[in-house]
Amino acid sequence: MDTQNNKPSAAKFWTWFNPVGRDTGGWAFILNRITALGLTFYLFLHLVILGQLAKGPQGYDSFIALMSSPVWIAGELLVVAAAFLHGLNGVRIILTTFGVSVTRQKQLFYGLMVIALIAILIFGFHMFTV
Amino acid sequence: MSSNIQSVSTPRSGEGTWLWLLKIVTGILLVVLLFIHLLVNHFLSQHGLMNYADIVAYYQNPIIPIMEVCLLAAVVFHSLTGLRGIILDLKPALSLLKVIDIILIIVGVTAVTYGIWLVTVIASRG
Repeated sequence: MDTQNNKPSAAKFWTWFNPVGRDTGGWAFILNRITALGLTFYLFLHLVILGQLAKGPQGYDSFIALMSSPVWIAGELLVVAAAFLHGLNGVRIILTTFGVSVTRQKQLFYGLMVIALIAILIFGFHMFTV
Repeated sequence: MSSNIQSVSTPRSGEGTWLWLLKIVTGILLVVLLFIHLLVNHFLSQHGLMNYADIVAYYQNPIIPIMEVCLLAAVVFHSLTGLRGIILDLKPALSLLKVIDIILIIVGVTAVTYGIWLVTVIASRG
């Protein structure tokens, strides 16, 4: 199996997300790409929805009431999770770009993902209980 | 570019050093600003910013609209250069890439302008 999955080619589009034959870096790549696309979609959704604020308290507060069902909170937690996974994976990319921890990237990646998991659990607990 | 974990980030072909570097710089900025944004929105006071009145009150401190516009500019730039990087992986023709670049610039400028307008509206409601 070709592990050089992010080599530029339109025909190999689906191999971006092919889990077969991945090393840790390959998994980090899939994670970063999926969360990137998800967060970009959410960013513009977020901007459009916040436009409700311009309509005053009635429009916005009734919208928020609509969003406080567990299904939507789960959706928001998905966004928070994507942000932590993408952001902390990005910290690894930044550090190694400047020559820090290049030979220990695997350990750095796992360490940061553990921090992401803890942060997601804290936010999840807070969002569903408060 | 190899997906090997030992490799480091470098500009893609067609990306240009400046876009690549700015994506990293905005990435660092986002870690800080998004952390504040999430912390305030979900943990500030007892319930976070949950309704219109909370948000208007929060925006009365002039630091907040400035910080939120900086966050918006950084996140829009980071997201659109990232999207362009993904598009580059699909090997678009150079003529198509030029059209895509123009579209991305229009989308980015529109989003930030809209954000500045919205932030100004909210801040002026206090």
